[in-house]
Amino acid sequence: MTEQRTEALPVRYAGIDDLVNRVPVSVVWEITLACDLACQHCGSRAGRRRRDELSTAEALDLVEQIAELGARDIGLIGGEAYLRKDWLEIVAAIRAAGMRCDLQTGGRNLSEERVARAAAAGLSGVGISIDGIGATHDGIRGVPGSFELALAALRRVRAHGLSSSVNTTINARSLPQLREIMDAIIDAGATNWQLAIMTAMGNAADHPELLLQPWQMLEVMPLLAELAVEGRERGLFLQPASNVGYYGPYESTIRNIIDDEIHFRGCNAGETVMGIEADGTIKSCPGLPSPYAGGNIRQRRLRDMWENADPLAFVRRRTIDDLWGFCRTCYYAETCMAGCTWTAHALMGRAGNNPMCYHRANEMDRKGLRERLVKIKDAGGKSFDHGEWEIVVEAAAPGVPDPISIHG
Amino acid sequence: MAEPGRVPPPLRLCRGCRQFVRPDEEACPFCGGDLDTLQADYDKRVADMLHAAAELREAMARAGVTDREA
Repeated sequence: MTEQRTEALPVRYAGIDDLVNRVPVSVVWEITLACDLACQHCGSRAGRRRRDELSTAEALDLVEQIAELGARDIGLIGGEAYLRKDWLEIVAAIRAAGMRCDLQTGGRNLSEERVARAAAAGLSGVGISIDGIGATHDGIRGVPGSFELALAALRRVRAHGLSSSVNTTINARSLPQLREIMDAIIDAGATNWQLAIMTAMGNAADHPELLLQPWQMLEVMPLLAELAVEGRERGLFLQPASNVGYYGPYESTIRNIIDDEIHFRGCNAGETVMGIEADGTIKSCPGLPSPYAGGNIRQRRLRDMWENADPLAFVRRRTIDDLWGFCRTCYYAETCMAGCTWTAHALMGRAGNNPMCYHRANEMDRKGLRERLVKIKDAGGKSFDHGEWEIVVEAAAPGVPDPISIHG
Repeated sequence: MAEPGRVPPPLRLCRGCRQFVRPDEEACPFCGGDLDTLQADYDKRVADMLHAAAELREAMARAGVTDREA
């Protein structure tokens, strides 16, 4: 059960030892909800800062507590993290505690001065969100001109010698543009490209026209495999998020970090991933809603929550009996455990059944069927909320619209 | 740490169709290939390729050609 860490592995890669010992390898910390963009898919519905965001002293103390748990990487998100006045103090504290620190940003106001000061503070890298080409990106991000500003920020980051990544949500508008996006970000100097399926949480729940349908995973996975191979040849390393998958003949290609036997091993929420909200709420994953919160750092020590809070323990305590729907009897059930909890919960209202899956779509397709998601109830309008969706099973062939069955 | 994390059962890559399969399988449930035979064939191809690359590198070194020049 032990393994040697290979230097070539990314810092955020969680190995078997990390899983066994439940090291929060990757901590994603929303340090403010203030934002300068108006994204149609924002899970936290960011815009204005939370009324009770952590003070500087509380944030710096939290950095120490995170370090004590053995975390290796902290990703600062928002909102827009750089809108918090003390964000560089937090960056410097993270680096001083021996951890890597990345900024995930829309890049709208990531000015030359901000990048220079961030580099001086020790920021390790920047991930810029790019969700389409030109007007597609501008429309999704809610600000005209934000695509060009994002690309300019990416070039600036590269010029300062920071590691330069791009985050892209795969949605109905960005899917046809992925190849073009790849060309643009390689040209602007990106070396890493993280791709995630747009999840129906927060603002995204209000935009069903943006969401992929389950059968589109049959298009997504071969395309990503193609782009992964081509990207690697051109110096761009493609990193699929936990909600991209699962299995089929493309799994190995898209997840090949150092060898082709790496595959999806299930949700890591509360195991090697931790999420923190700006008010100090501790969650097992940054995207998950409040039922997955283990408490607040103002009331309880981080280690105590990480080791003992029940809402953070669902991944390690669940069994196949907690799965339902297609996932309950899936060939990969024991390893996959219904994939990304965030995605499943946002669509189905609870974990354990995830329709956004290549293997599932392929099994349906072999029977001449496909699954279609239909929204039956709107989200309430708060951070990390979600609507209610039904799965309609219908004939895969176009022109046969009558639903065969509906299940939730 | 009182409660260890859950380590999911690892899967095995079929060298015939590149689908992942459960470790207790003998034949691939997707392409029907014999998993051990396919793996052995794959390992041999990799070994042959590495051997050929090493021989090429040695020949280039003897001829005074560097990787960059090649």
